[in-house]
Amino acid sequence: MSKRICNKGIMMAAAGLLLAGAALAQSGVSFKDPAGDDNGPGNYTYPTDGVYKRGSFDMTGFDVKVSGKKVDLGVTFAAALEDPWRMGGGFSVQMVFIFIDNKPGGFKEGPPGTNVTFADGNEWDKMVILSPQPPGRVKTEVEQKMPAAQQSAVVIPNRTKGSGHTISATVDLDELGGGDPSQWGYQVIVQSNEGFPEGKDLLTRKVNEYEGQHRFGGGTDTDCDPHVMDILAGKGAGSADEVQAQHDMLKYECNPDGTAKQPAVLKMVKK
Amino acid sequence: MRSFRGFAIGLLAAAAALAAVPVFAADGQTLLITGEDYTKWLWGNQHTDGSVYNFTTVPGEGYGDNGQGTEIDLYLFSKPARNVEVQGRLQSRFNQNQWTNYGGFGGRNPALENPPGGDCIGGDCGEFDPRSNEYIKMRGLTARYTPGFKFLDAVTIGSTDLGMFDAFTIGKIRYIDRDNAKAVLAQGSLFGRKLGYDLIRVSLPRLFAGPNFSTGNYTGQDSDYGLQLKFAPTPLFDSVLVWERARDLEVDTFDRNFDNGRDVADRFKNDVYGLRFGIHPGAKVDFRGTYYHSEAQSDPRFGAPASFFGISGFSPVPAGKLDDPAWKANVDLNDPFGVGLSFNLEYFNIGAQYVSILAARREDDVLLTEGHDSTWVFPGPDNSAFGVFPGNPTRIGYGGWQGNAQQVATISVDNEFTDFEEPMAETVIGWKGFTVDPTWSIGDLSLTAEYSKIDYNTNWQAWGDPTRAILDSIYPNHESDAGIGSFRNAYAPFQDKSTDIYLIKGKYLLNVAKGVDVFGKIKYIDETDKRMNNARFLPYKPGDCPGGGAACHNNVNTYFNGFSTADLYGNPPVITVNGVTGYQWKPFDSLSDDDEDMNYKMFQLGGGYQFTGNFYSSLTYEHYDVDLKDGNTAFQAYQLHNMASGKHSKNKAMLYARYTFGGAEFGMNYEYNWGTFDPDFGGGFVTQFADADTAHNFGVPVGSPGFRGRFGGWNSLLNRDFKQNRMKVFMKIRF
Repeated sequence: MSKRICNKGIMMAAAGLLLAGAALAQSGVSFKDPAGDDNGPGNYTYPTDGVYKRGSFDMTGFDVKVSGKKVDLGVTFAAALEDPWRMGGGFSVQMVFIFIDNKPGGFKEGPPGTNVTFADGNEWDKMVILSPQPPGRVKTEVEQKMPAAQQSAVVIPNRTKGSGHTISATVDLDELGGGDPSQWGYQVIVQSNEGFPEGKDLLTRKVNEYEGQHRFGGGTDTDCDPHVMDILAGKGAGSADEVQAQHDMLKYECNPDGTAKQPAVLKMVKK
Repeated sequence: MRSFRGFAIGLLAAAAALAAVPVFAADGQTLLITGEDYTKWLWGNQHTDGSVYNFTTVPGEGYGDNGQGTEIDLYLFSKPARNVEVQGRLQSRFNQNQWTNYGGFGGRNPALENPPGGDCIGGDCGEFDPRSNEYIKMRGLTARYTPGFKFLDAVTIGSTDLGMFDAFTIGKIRYIDRDNAKAVLAQGSLFGRKLGYDLIRVSLPRLFAGPNFSTGNYTGQDSDYGLQLKFAPTPLFDSVLVWERARDLEVDTFDRNFDNGRDVADRFKNDVYGLRFGIHPGAKVDFRGTYYHSEAQSDPRFGAPASFFGISGFSPVPAGKLDDPAWKANVDLNDPFGVGLSFNLEYFNIGAQYVSILAARREDDVLLTEGHDSTWVFPGPDNSAFGVFPGNPTRIGYGGWQGNAQQVATISVDNEFTDFEEPMAETVIGWKGFTVDPTWSIGDLSLTAEYSKIDYNTNWQAWGDPTRAILDSIYPNHESDAGIGSFRNAYAPFQDKSTDIYLIKGKYLLNVAKGVDVFGKIKYIDETDKRMNNARFLPYKPGDCPGGGAACHNNVNTYFNGFSTADLYGNPPVITVNGVTGYQWKPFDSLSDDDEDMNYKMFQLGGGYQFTGNFYSSLTYEHYDVDLKDGNTAFQAYQLHNMASGKHSKNKAMLYARYTFGGAEFGMNYEYNWGTFDPDFGGGFVTQFADADTAHNFGVPVGSPGFRGRFGGWNSLLNRDFKQNRMKVFMKIRF
């Protein structure tokens, strides 16, 4: 009898631990993004080189999971990740900027090379870069190309890996400013890893009027267009209307001299 | 005149249209110059220093595992007008530019040597050879026009790596550099951008893009035209029609009327038609299909070979008139059960005579399977080029390359001018079968497995055409199919082969300190090849060699019209060694004499750690255990190669480190290989013992056992121990 009670106790304890584990794993927040909206403001096209496979820049989900003092960030894509340039982390062509709004104020300008701004009340406070480049290279680029005031708000994970369809990294919660990540606002920009970026660009790939072998198409040959293929939009639920919401956010207008008359303005997405 | 005109006219028309486009100089036009300093250090215990690359088979180029070299690469970019941009590079190459050349001064001058002093190797020709005098070449010069027409997005004129086409037709190309190919490329769309197109004319590389790795004497008109029509009416469906037409032209020597100019004729022609399509019903399921049909023909009247020496022909394309399809179908099931478990399925069928002369030769991967491992390169156990003869020293060495092979749909596989840590390509011409590839990601653990079943379209007897002599084949054999691996061999005289590949590999991020990457793999390959499987093809009549010290009667067995495999598998003489009389090698009198049965196991375990944002390092151990039966002394690995029958045990320990410092990146890859080969060549022959000359030529002890084959090559019967150390360190600075 006592043995049976003991067994039951062990089973209940195990179940409790499992539930607790599950509860811990569920701490965080998840967003979905519609498939097939990897076209920026609606008409962007992929580069023509074969390494840019269909769906490579089509974000379908973004997950934030809190495990104690660590935060796991994962961005999922429609296409399986590949590492054709042998970057070593399981992916090559993608690069992701994750913007976090977790306190009043913040920065309105996106990182150099993205050509986006953030709407009033939607400024970012922290930015996490998921890049296949070595963290040291990303850090150097940030130091060289981002305004000094923004640099301290950039978080570069020690390890970023691609596996299956998901690029993921873990950062310290303290690095993000502490608090409850499930209450924060987020924006995620899908860009492409460019090892030889143009002068001021932060490892980002250009969008031109016409796609080239290693350039996106559908934009302009100047920098008035957002160099962004996919973002979170709407409520981050993956519904069809979020495609239009994305296109609306990424609308832009250029001056005749190629400067931005109306840049793309992004909003945070919050659960 | 039979040259192809239509598309040339089209492209000229496009160029003429461009001339009419008003262009305006952009304000503040700038010339952007960026560059890279790439310095490499090689060290290895083979102590060769022929060039600053580990591997090449190109005669006269040199290869080495020791030395230091530096390249400079200057990138130039300018946009002289809103719709015109130009880019190019000025680059030096490693080649034989060792630091010890002291800038490439002095050296012997091969132009003045009488008698000729041989190839320039290791920079000994100094300033008299461009490979060692630090010359800088124009590379990658390209002009791109975006005229703004509705039907024409861009015209690109100049260098390209052809990455916009596909690996089965016009593949991404690299021969040391990535953009040596020169082309005119027009890209645009029609019908409201519903139908996109890429139209290209590539000048055929005379270096390799024709029979016998040549495009003949008249090369200026040799070309490859390609067209892709891309149709994507809905997000659920997309398709691409592909067409390729290559022509290697020669002046028609039969046209004796010079008064009206000269006719040209095809030395080699190659046409490929293809269709790629995708059906995308949802995020969970994806279907893709690919079908190509190729036709090729070589004309011996204009210098193309009519056939190849049966067991050692070298060419990027078989001879004669060829046609075959290549196709594959893929299904991706993306996490269908919502538990992180996905499946990739692929069926593939690459015809034995599938030919696209500009198909990708490396750095592409047309099949899902991992294929073979790159550490097994050539037939012999020490990766010698032709190891049964003296004077053919090891190149890449016992360790081969790292990792698994990439698969390319051509026998023109190119692994030239690479170092040991770069990917190796292998041909899949003739492969057919399927791959099942489940992947499971759960938390920090990701697991991938594979099962591949490979059958071969090249399973045949007497090269698939028993009406020809056995040494009169249309198929180049390259290094042959003997041994554990051979990266560019697709054809063998007799083949009845089946390969099963099983593997499971995983990665786990161990939550210790900053996170330790733990990774590993277990791989198993079961391969059998009965090769000759019909007694009709045995070289001699039954009982031809009675044994007991009696000579063979040499009663040849013919399989067709007087043809016999005795041309390949000749009878042994009777010899007496230390009082023992018998055959010098076993007579080929059984269908089992050439059988292959390989039991291949591989195990890998490693870990990596990002010590700081700038410093990452990993340590990997691999063990290979191969039990190979690869014919006996009657087969002799086709007489040319080291026999590899026996037990192989190989170990690799690899230390990798990467450090970034500002704009500079340093990398280090050290590898220690060690292992043993325990030969088992069967019986039925008299063991010989190495004399002083043999010992000297083959690096074996005087008096050690072995046997001498049909062509005089020596195969040692000693157990062999291998050790190979090597290291590559590099520095890259972008500026």
